[in-house]
Amino acid sequence: MRQTKPSFSWRKVTESKLFFPLVAFALILLFDLIVIPGFFKIQVREGNLYGSLIDVLRNGSTISLLAIGMTLVIATGGVDLSVGAVMAIAASVAAVLMNPYVLATELPPNLMKLINDPTFTWQPLWIVILVTLFVAILCGLVNGLLVAYVKIQPMVGTLILMIAGRGIAQLITNGVRIQIFYEPYAFIGQGWIVLPFSLYIVAFVFAIAWLLTRKTSIGLFIESVGINSRSSFYSGIEEKKVKLLAYTFCGLCAGIAGLVASSNIKTSDAFNIGMTNELDAILAVVIGGTLMSGGRFSLLASIIGAWVMQAITTSSYAVGVPAFALQAIKGVVVILVILLYSEQVRGLVRRIGAQKEA
Amino acid sequence: MRRIGALISTYQKFIPLIATALLALTAYGVGAIFYPAMRDPQVFLNIFRNNAYLLISAIGMTLVILTGGIDLSVSGVMALTTVASAALLREGWNSWVVILLMLIMGMALGAVMGGFIAFMKVQPFIATLAGMWVARGLCFFISDDAIAIHDRTFHILGATKILIPGLSDPSAKQGDFVSIFVVVAFVVLAAAMYLTHYRRFGRTVYAIGGNEGRNEQSARLMGLPVNSTKVLVYTLNGFCSALAGIGLALNVMSGHGLYANGTELDVIASVVMGGTSLSGGVGYVFGTLFGVLILGITQTLIQFNGTLSSWWTRIVIGLLTLMFIGVQSVLAARKRGRGQVKEGGAPVSAAARRRRLLLLGGGTIFAIALVALALSAILKPAGSETADTTATAGSTGCEFKPFRQDQAEIAVETGAVVTYERNGGPDCIDELYFIYTDGRIVGDDGTNKIEKQVTPADVDTLLASISDLGWFTDEMYNTWHTPCRQCFGYYVTVSHDDQIKTVKGVDGGTDAPADFLVVISLVKGVVPEFAAVP
Repeated sequence: MRQTKPSFSWRKVTESKLFFPLVAFALILLFDLIVIPGFFKIQVREGNLYGSLIDVLRNGSTISLLAIGMTLVIATGGVDLSVGAVMAIAASVAAVLMNPYVLATELPPNLMKLINDPTFTWQPLWIVILVTLFVAILCGLVNGLLVAYVKIQPMVGTLILMIAGRGIAQLITNGVRIQIFYEPYAFIGQGWIVLPFSLYIVAFVFAIAWLLTRKTSIGLFIESVGINSRSSFYSGIEEKKVKLLAYTFCGLCAGIAGLVASSNIKTSDAFNIGMTNELDAILAVVIGGTLMSGGRFSLLASIIGAWVMQAITTSSYAVGVPAFALQAIKGVVVILVILLYSEQVRGLVRRIGAQKEA
Repeated sequence: MRRIGALISTYQKFIPLIATALLALTAYGVGAIFYPAMRDPQVFLNIFRNNAYLLISAIGMTLVILTGGIDLSVSGVMALTTVASAALLREGWNSWVVILLMLIMGMALGAVMGGFIAFMKVQPFIATLAGMWVARGLCFFISDDAIAIHDRTFHILGATKILIPGLSDPSAKQGDFVSIFVVVAFVVLAAAMYLTHYRRFGRTVYAIGGNEGRNEQSARLMGLPVNSTKVLVYTLNGFCSALAGIGLALNVMSGHGLYANGTELDVIASVVMGGTSLSGGVGYVFGTLFGVLILGITQTLIQFNGTLSSWWTRIVIGLLTLMFIGVQSVLAARKRGRGQVKEGGAPVSAAARRRRLLLLGGGTIFAIALVALALSAILKPAGSETADTTATAGSTGCEFKPFRQDQAEIAVETGAVVTYERNGGPDCIDELYFIYTDGRIVGDDGTNKIEKQVTPADVDTLLASISDLGWFTDEMYNTWHTPCRQCFGYYVTVSHDDQIKTVKGVDGGTDAPADFLVVISLVKGVVPEFAAVP
């Protein structure tokens, strides 16, 4: 293994976690540039930016949020299948806190009017958000306890909440799809301050996660636990607490994603919110180059992975692929990505790189 | 006491299996105490009838999980099977050829996924996840809408009743019965048991998954055919999924890409409840039968309760899965602990070991008792009422008459746009109505006939509103439980704009889609009424 040019080498670029997701994102955008006219057109209306590209970023924000939390969990060598269900629980909690009256059997007539009022809410917004996120953190805590302390396989431990979670969400709203009329809440998912407001949320969560993992030793701990949990334990890292933290943070991210998703559609649809989103999030992380077996991770690459997923969705719709056929496309993409990351292909790329440098 | 301890010690590996069986029996027993109608053997057989496809899929999944893998694609393959078979049958293919093709398709899909897992070292759940997406996506390439199945062989396969000896009267062709598919499921179960316990293949499966899935390397070094066995296991599971898909198609007599949504969770939960460890290498195919039974009994209990919503099923199943995984991890931890003791350190006296085992057994029984108690607490308030009503139902000797499906079918072929059958109720009626496009409505309660004329426009409005209520979408699905004393069972076929769909359901419960009952009330408003039988 000789490295002639350490400052810039082909190998260093291809080995970077950002390389593949960026190439994939660029390829999809190139495809859009050729096939879809006006994809890159960005309009300015009332000081806000609109356009297909912005839509990709905006619609990708839920998956981005999930991907941030999922990256940490996958980096510890685990996986969290329950994020979709946690999103549904969060949406239900938020909706009930703003609009509990739909659950009552008899409504006074003036109350009905009140509920349809866009300025009406039962609890103030900050309580709604705090309680919702608290519930989401609780869900993450349950996952973390099951995985780290009860020592259940991550996939299985989180599967339990995945199975039961939607039932719990239905229970909270009594099986009713609660409509959310409160306007300020809708701002979370639909508001714009030059850019969509949800993008700022993603940026905020990303900043917190980045500070947490890259400016403290927690990131190193997570990677170390993911690479070898036992030897981390022997070298004095409290692997249980590290895992607990990762799952709890993932729960928090899922809760925020649930808020964004429910405010996007202005309902608490316990059955559909976050459906199969856990898979999209896992896929985003995989595209971002974090290995499913744990270890080194890159938050930014995961977010780009999430945008790749969203760009595929958006451009498929733009080309006219029916909504359901999209799943087949995603499936093929998964297979391609996995093949690209397999040892065989990596070895091939490495050999080509070595030849060029030689 | 000591002998009990020794007994537990010898059969320790059967503890999860026994716990599952006990739990299934306890749950059914508690249900039978509170709901006398549940004592009807047919209710028990219906659990098998409704879940035969789940059982088949769970058997295949058990093999996969025993190797330490997982297959999330089962629901996708099932849906693809229903759609593809419905589409081929619509084209007029021979039904047996279609079934054969579907099984081959399932095996091919399974083999491809298995190949990725075994040779490309892709994580099982990612590879099968991709498989599920591809399978579900393919469904919608074939058809966006549900396709009805009008094949004679499929109808025969789905509707033939196999009477249970001793519980039925063969000469009158009446009594308790199961469907052909239940028999198929048990054949698959027997075959899988033979394969896992008496063939080299089965040993290899256990060997790969042993030691919580970490045994693969050892199995390889021992010279076992790890890769080909893995591919074979996923191929077998593909076969089981396709077979389960055919079972589903026979149940609902149609195919759609959204069918079996989330079934993989039910399947995995059944396998886990059946005592198979998700980390691999531990468990029995036979236990899976009880896992499916627990799932079915939970559904039945919630249906009989009538006040609990169907989403409780998911919560209860989630909790039960958690409990079983807890028991398994305790067992695994004990095993590890014992291994370490053997390596060195203070030896544990046999008596102490037995005491601990006894404690564990007691703990398991205690947990089961706890669940039973919780179940009875849930069931009590609604249970007492239902008990009264069903008791009177038994005394009047009202027997729910089977739907006249063949008559309805003939009527649809001869131009009826809506057939509406209402059975049961306090007077044990069996009314079948046909509505024709020209506004003619014919009713028949078995003895009398009744006729009524409405305008063709009325029929059009009725059809349009039924269609608007989502009759031909996936929101309208079959549901069934034994109707209560005052309840009616409905069997409604609607043919509109070249679409035909039949939905059956029971009122008075929470399982039927809300819009189904709206449709019923719409139709009820149009059809004439029979004079009350004195």
